[in-house]
Amino acid sequence: MPKKKHSFELKSKISELDTLCHEMEKFGRSLGLSKKCIFEINLALDELFTNIISYGFADEKEHSIKITITPQNDMLCLCIEDDGLPFNPVDVEEPDLKRTIEDCKIGGLGIHLIKNLMDEVCYERCGRINKLTLKKNITATDCG
Amino acid sequence: MEIIEEKQKSISIFKLNGRLDSNTSQGFEKKIFDAISDGSKNIVVDFRDLDYISSAGLRVILKATKALNREDGKIMLCAMQDYVKEVFEIAGFDSFLSIVPTMDDALKGL
Repeated sequence: MPKKKHSFELKSKISELDTLCHEMEKFGRSLGLSKKCIFEINLALDELFTNIISYGFADEKEHSIKITITPQNDMLCLCIEDDGLPFNPVDVEEPDLKRTIEDCKIGGLGIHLIKNLMDEVCYERCGRINKLTLKKNITATDCG
Repeated sequence: MEIIEEKQKSISIFKLNGRLDSNTSQGFEKKIFDAISDGSKNIVVDFRDLDYISSAGLRVILKATKALNREDGKIMLCAMQDYVKEVFEIAGFDSFLSIVPTMDDALKGL
């Protein structure tokens, strides 16, 4: 497995989801990850990126979101940095899943997916930067 | 994402191909709501060629299901890849949506 870290920047517009998908598939394949594993990592990053550009910025300026992926033994470490409003997804309340369809709201679902697909989610505010670190075990039977 | 729309008697069938995410969900939402406005009450969404879904895609399915419930209609979802189905399960949507293995099962369910 290549130990080199991989990083790229996305502009704060929704069409960059295609760049994210392309970068993740290329990197995931170079590590020999399964399709399911690449899918789960892509989904977690998509939900976070979509949240950041939907709610993260108070101005209309273009911002950059930096993604760094580092293989660490059995884990893949994904770090996402943005200069938006402070937001800690770890503190977001879990949606009530035992609800009827009429009570079901889509808000908070993206964060719920991230927490379920990843093994660790850790938030830090570093000066004016939100830094979220996700870790995914890539040696699990269906992942890797 | 490519969306192929077909009619079988009174059933509207949407075949999704590619990625259903925040980039493409609005296009799908418009198509499915156009069909509901035109009187479609029974809808099948075929996920066989769908490689990817995010919460933006779940949102469209949820919104369409609620709209159809109000019209006494029904929506069936079929032929999902395992990892797409897993997203519905993590979201808890499998408890109130009809998710079936094949197109035949979906058509029989309406």
